[in-house]
Amino acid sequence: MQCEKQRSASSMANILEELQPLFRDILDQPNLRISRESNSSNVEGWDSLAHINLVTAIEQEYDIKFSIDELLDLKNVGEMVDLMEIKLATK
Amino acid sequence: MNTYQWSDLRIGLSDGFEVQLTLDMMEAFASISGDTNPLHRDRQLAMQRGFSDTVAYGLLTSAFYSQLVGVHLPGRYALLHGISIDFVSPAYPGDTLKVSGEISYLNDAFRRIEIRANTTRHGEEVVSKAKLRVGLQIF
Repeated sequence: MQCEKQRSASSMANILEELQPLFRDILDQPNLRISRESNSSNVEGWDSLAHINLVTAIEQEYDIKFSIDELLDLKNVGEMVDLMEIKLATK
Repeated sequence: MNTYQWSDLRIGLSDGFEVQLTLDMMEAFASISGDTNPLHRDRQLAMQRGFSDTVAYGLLTSAFYSQLVGVHLPGRYALLHGISIDFVSPAYPGDTLKVSGEISYLNDAFRRIEIRANTTRHGEEVVSKAKLRVGLQIF
């Protein structure tokens, strides 16, 4: 609920910033900074289990759902953020 | 052993069981883990440190979360992905533990569930709370 309030008060452009602590926590890298170009090939520790943990954490944090087809199409964090914006705008 | 498949699962589905913590379990865990800390083996020392008996190993009491997932919820097709545990209060040999869990989240894309679980002693005092991340294998 707290996150809902924070997000509605901020613009969708801040999603990437909101995701920073989530990625740092799940990938266990306190100094990690993700960009729109980040993906499992260029971020250390982003393995298949971490990928599931990232997606499930985003789903729960933002109260949205992704289909397996949507997830398979994503090439990087930027495309995930874009998809999140669409889902959040239509909630 | 339960054989829940993905279509059987829903948020709120719960299960649990009771188990008595024995000295044999304590000995077996000491042998497996190599943890010979006297808090778990010397009753007098444990009492001097303010406990009412030798303290059960936290990872022994939480080992029953493995049974919860692998046998009860969801059972046969479970694959444990991860677990977060908080040890809230001590348990002692001879305690009857009640281990309970409830599905709190379902992820269709990865067939992953999360279970909010806890262990209580003698049906009242919380020994530990856990969040269990479990995949469901597909055949």
